[in-house]
Amino acid sequence: MSDPTRREPVADRPKIETHDVTKVYADGRVHALTGVDLQVMPGEFVAVTGPSGCGKSTLLGLLAALDAPTSGTIRVGSYELDRLHDANQFRRQEVGLVFQFHNLLPRLSALHNVEIAMLGSARPHGDRTGFAMGLLDDVGLAHLADRRPPQLSGGERQRVAVARALANEPSVLYADEPTGSLDSRSTEVVLELFQNLRSERGVTIVMVTHDEAVAATADRTVHMVDGRIAPLGDAGIASPVSAGPLIGA
Amino acid sequence: MALTTTAPPEVPEGAGAPVVAPVERRDRPLTMLSLVVANIWAKKARSTGIAFAVALAVMTVVTLTVVSSGLETAASAVLTVGKADFTVAQNGVSDLLYSNIDTGQLARIGATPGVKSSVGVLLETEKINAANPLFIEIGIQPSDLTTFGVTVVAGRAYGATAPNEVMLGWRAAQNLGLHVGDRFYANGTSNKVVGIFSTGISYGDSAAMFPLPALQAYNRVPGSVSLVFVKIAPGHSSASVQKTLTRDQPELTTISTLAQAGRADRNLVFLKAAVTGSTILALVIGAIVVGNTMLLSLFERTREFGLLRAIGWGRRRVVWLVVSESLSLAVVGSLLGVAFSFVVTTVLEALPQLHGVLHSNFTTSAFGRGLAVGIGMAVLGSLYPSVRAANLTPLKALSNE
Repeated sequence: MSDPTRREPVADRPKIETHDVTKVYADGRVHALTGVDLQVMPGEFVAVTGPSGCGKSTLLGLLAALDAPTSGTIRVGSYELDRLHDANQFRRQEVGLVFQFHNLLPRLSALHNVEIAMLGSARPHGDRTGFAMGLLDDVGLAHLADRRPPQLSGGERQRVAVARALANEPSVLYADEPTGSLDSRSTEVVLELFQNLRSERGVTIVMVTHDEAVAATADRTVHMVDGRIAPLGDAGIASPVSAGPLIGA
Repeated sequence: MALTTTAPPEVPEGAGAPVVAPVERRDRPLTMLSLVVANIWAKKARSTGIAFAVALAVMTVVTLTVVSSGLETAASAVLTVGKADFTVAQNGVSDLLYSNIDTGQLARIGATPGVKSSVGVLLETEKINAANPLFIEIGIQPSDLTTFGVTVVAGRAYGATAPNEVMLGWRAAQNLGLHVGDRFYANGTSNKVVGIFSTGISYGDSAAMFPLPALQAYNRVPGSVSLVFVKIAPGHSSASVQKTLTRDQPELTTISTLAQAGRADRNLVFLKAAVTGSTILALVIGAIVVGNTMLLSLFERTREFGLLRAIGWGRRRVVWLVVSESLSLAVVGSLLGVAFSFVVTTVLEALPQLHGVLHSNFTTSAFGRGLAVGIGMAVLGSLYPSVRAANLTPLKALSNE
């Protein structure tokens, strides 16, 4: 559900900011990203769209410090990613990741799949199970906490993956084609979760998708073509788009 | 705060699978240990394979160690029978039983300053029956029996030149079912059991004693003894007497501890070298097997490791996870290996060819060596796979098909 008030930034300074980011692969032969400037305000839900191979996932990987840019700077909150001493700590503390394929460990229960993100975190050992249960409850799966991924539907698995992404209470959630392998009903559920995360917890969300209808549920859409952000209103700060009728209709 | 959701209950994928009733809740927290156990349990065949490889290597090492230790104890046991301060043997012989000290050398040993008494004994082995393929026979003068630490517990001692008289150790008599007055067939003759003796040492009590000239004659080594048991006169140091003795007679060597037995018995040296070589070989082969299997596992779990790195696991934690899985299997494999070794040595001991020869000696050091090999295999074998897993680029790993 689109709400004009949600599009307003909750703070003056962008939560995520990239400046002239490029990413080059294969000894300079493949330019995955070229001069990307992007700003995402705190609590904003931004969809990054574009055709396959346009650099959407590459950009998300750089924002999550899963890879390093060839040039340019990236800031997420107070972290300057090109000066990170410990990218693992950054991802553990600041970022939640949701993938197209849920990447749950099939041998662990849903509960333990959430808890696994907390191993090595600062959260006291005794609190982890309770907190993980709370997250599963938040995504409506507390009653399936003991189920293993093969015993869950695709949508349920993705909701467990969302709960796992929230295990360390990140301020930013990156989702790479989170609905790409889901049916329409499960897609609705996951997108509603994202909307509620943004509205109820103020989590900043960047979602990569090639599906325009899915992208329409975000506060605004950034369109990418050939490794660049396509002009759409202001460069990198695209005009808001209306949320589609996928959820809450 | 629960996130607002209007999600309808979902049905698991599959042909109209019904909503499954909630299963019993088990809120056991996830720990590294429980994760390791879950990972091992998930790949039962592979885990069994690794544990079995470790078990085989550990079994080999423990069995060799136990057998060599048993043989060493058996070979060295004769050294302790005489209750001496030290024993003299021929230097560098392949087997203590092949040591040969002549009458002149024996006299010079007795004349060495600081020597209180020296008892020359001839040691031979003979197959008495299938159960006693290496029965120990000791030739000793009856006048030396007390000095040698022998107590006659039944009957009497044999005469110094009495033909066809023998004393049996009480264990030997018990095992052979013989008593004073019975006949004992050895060295091609029938000997009368005139006494039963005790030395207080198992190997001595499992032997037979003959008059020295008689045993020398039976074995065609007149005037020769195998070992000389020396007692030191009060006020003298054993070390200095040994030093004087070996300086004056360099063809002889002295032994006062089991560890020194290798000076006189080259077989023990070769045996220990063989055990060390086998241990290293087992370690290397085992590490390769474990490493190869762990590497296969790594390829299968590339996405998983990529995910763990992506959600903030550090390299060290990933290394620890892989090494812990390997170590856990190594511990299980090592325990299995020790159990296998116990079975194998028991079977070996029961073989007619080895019955009475092989005395397995399960010592703490044998277990320690086995465990060290098991753990060494696990650590060496998992080192490369774990480092490789830790260095996976999360993005590449996650895109791995």
